Amino acid sequence: MNEAKVVVIRGNGVFTAGGDLNQPKIVAMIQRGLQLVTGSPDVKEGLGQIFSQNDRVGIKINTIGGRKISTRPEVSLSLADLLVKSGLREKNIIVWDRTNRELKEAGYRLASNSNGLKIMATDTAGAGYETELVSHLNIGSLFSTIQTNFVTASISLAILKDHGLAGVTAGMKNYYGTIHNPNKYHDSHCNPYVAELFDTNPIKRKHRLSILDGLIVQYHRGPSYHAQWAEPCGVLIFSRDPVAADSVGWQLTEKLRAKKGLPSLKEEEREPAYLLTAEKMGLGRAGAEKVQITEDEV
Amino acid sequence: MERRQFFKTLAGSSLLLSSNTGGFLEDLFAFQETANLSRVEARHYKKLPDREIECQLCPRHCKLGDKERGYCGVRENIGGTYYTLVYGKACAANVDPIEKKPFFHFLPGTTALSIATAGCNVNCKFCQNWQISQVRAEQVQPFDLPPQDVVANALKDYCPSISYTYTEPIIFFEYMYDTSIEAHKKGIKNCVVTGGYINQEPLLELVKVVDAIKIDLKAFSQDFYANYVRGELQPVLEAIKTVHRSKVWLELVYLVIPTLNDNTEEIKQMSQWLRAEIGPDVPLHFSRFHPMYLIQNLPPTPISTLEKIREIALSEGLHYVYIGNVPGHKAENTFCPRCQNMVIEREGFQVKKIELEGGNCKFCHNPIPGIWA
Repeated sequence: MNEAKVVVIRGNGVFTAGGDLNQPKIVAMIQRGLQLVTGSPDVKEGLGQIFSQNDRVGIKINTIGGRKISTRPEVSLSLADLLVKSGLREKNIIVWDRTNRELKEAGYRLASNSNGLKIMATDTAGAGYETELVSHLNIGSLFSTIQTNFVTASISLAILKDHGLAGVTAGMKNYYGTIHNPNKYHDSHCNPYVAELFDTNPIKRKHRLSILDGLIVQYHRGPSYHAQWAEPCGVLIFSRDPVAADSVGWQLTEKLRAKKGLPSLKEEEREPAYLLTAEKMGLGRAGAEKVQITEDEV
Repeated sequence: MERRQFFKTLAGSSLLLSSNTGGFLEDLFAFQETANLSRVEARHYKKLPDREIECQLCPRHCKLGDKERGYCGVRENIGGTYYTLVYGKACAANVDPIEKKPFFHFLPGTTALSIATAGCNVNCKFCQNWQISQVRAEQVQPFDLPPQDVVANALKDYCPSISYTYTEPIIFFEYMYDTSIEAHKKGIKNCVVTGGYINQEPLLELVKVVDAIKIDLKAFSQDFYANYVRGELQPVLEAIKTVHRSKVWLELVYLVIPTLNDNTEEIKQMSQWLRAEIGPDVPLHFSRFHPMYLIQNLPPTPISTLEKIREIALSEGLHYVYIGNVPGHKAENTFCPRCQNMVIEREGFQVKKIELEGGNCKFCHNPIPGIWA
């Protein structure tokens, strides 16, 4: 297997003096990330390698943590806008997670206009979960009809943060929000569940791109928000390889932990073992030597 | 599904979602988001620094940050306080024959008002009620049924007992506990149908307020519990011993799944353990498996397997060993262990004849343990 490519874009000045996000900077970061991850200086052409014009793209975000530690609207909506500018139809793009309450608490304004961008959750009346179980290895779950019926191509746009059980929660574990019973997959440090869920048809066949929102990274005591362990890193991470993306996110978290004098996840006996499981399942590349990281600054 | 069909379905069932009119749309979403959940402070948990908590209800000891839920899916940390989301929020309430639970030595021939909320603290791959047990609190359609109303309904329906069942009542501990107290005030008994995966402290509280507990002993193997239940055997064995030591009536059910937990040597070891630890008089039901939930590739348990296993248990000295889910089988009946006469005749959930006098065998006066009235 060739090396997996991961792109890390740092936004110089992505936070304003007041601590708000600099929207144009975020747009520039996303553009640069897409250029490098696709290898095409033309963002539209690069996105054309990933999506067809008829694709219905689901931008799966992670909003369980509330406003402070969820995928930021500034990032997800900027991405949606870029997709539209690249030729995808706005009505074919959905920014979504599992509950409308969580979306709202994370700062999203809900929208289900059939002719425009949709921002909504599985618990919207008429969406909901499938009635037939998907049974695959240790996974037995009902999937959101958003993922199964609407989405033809999926972007995992996850917040990068420490997770008390899995080690880190990033792009792959973000898909826990597509099923009805994620609470059943947290024993054994979420392993092998994270990998096996990704390996199910509704996910694996549709996943196209991982983007990790590392603008502020919670590097300790996640997944809940703790201000004292949240670092404004100002990065976005891009990869077509979901395992590699998470691996790089994990390494970033470890660097922050080391900088703050915290033990590594291995020392705390919660290394993200799901990454090795995912690699063994052929889902991508873990391990630093198998991942080519390209860093740039905007 | 075509995109057009997806939105037709969405619009048809969600009022006027096609208009993007800001405040009005948000009101609609607010309506849809409001799940019928309780927010009653949970019991049996410990507050930790930084708004974290540790649940102490079951051996999982879920350690949760703000906004996190436990494995059971129905208890949530909100700002450092742990709440049950299903207190008084039943998703099922039926009048069932007590034999359906099954209880064979507890108020035979009567009915039990049977209630459940969503949730469970394990994930058995053969769960027969997974649509309500393996879901989060907002994924069912609960109705308000506070403890006093449960009791009122039991009285109205002439049920001498209330059964906490269908899902896993441990996870609605507070609701079950409070309802049990209310029930006793009105002379109604309480029976619990559980997997027994509970910590000792809440269990010791529970046995003070209920009258009968049926524990599903799913296998006598930690491997089985790890792979097919996502739980642990040892806490269940401890729970069995604790209930037996209390004044609460105890029965056990063992669902026999072909090739997975029907090993005769394990059955023998289990029977020996039961005989040694809780004596020969605790009824044990070997129940027939049917393909269910995530185990669809195995056949129903052969009746010959159930009969063979039953014989093993009887030969190890257990007195009351039944076969369940095989209506009409002679092993549904109760036989006096001394004179071998049939003292309770059953067919399915129906009691046809009781030959007891004051709880004793009518024929030889041997005491038959149970709660008969």
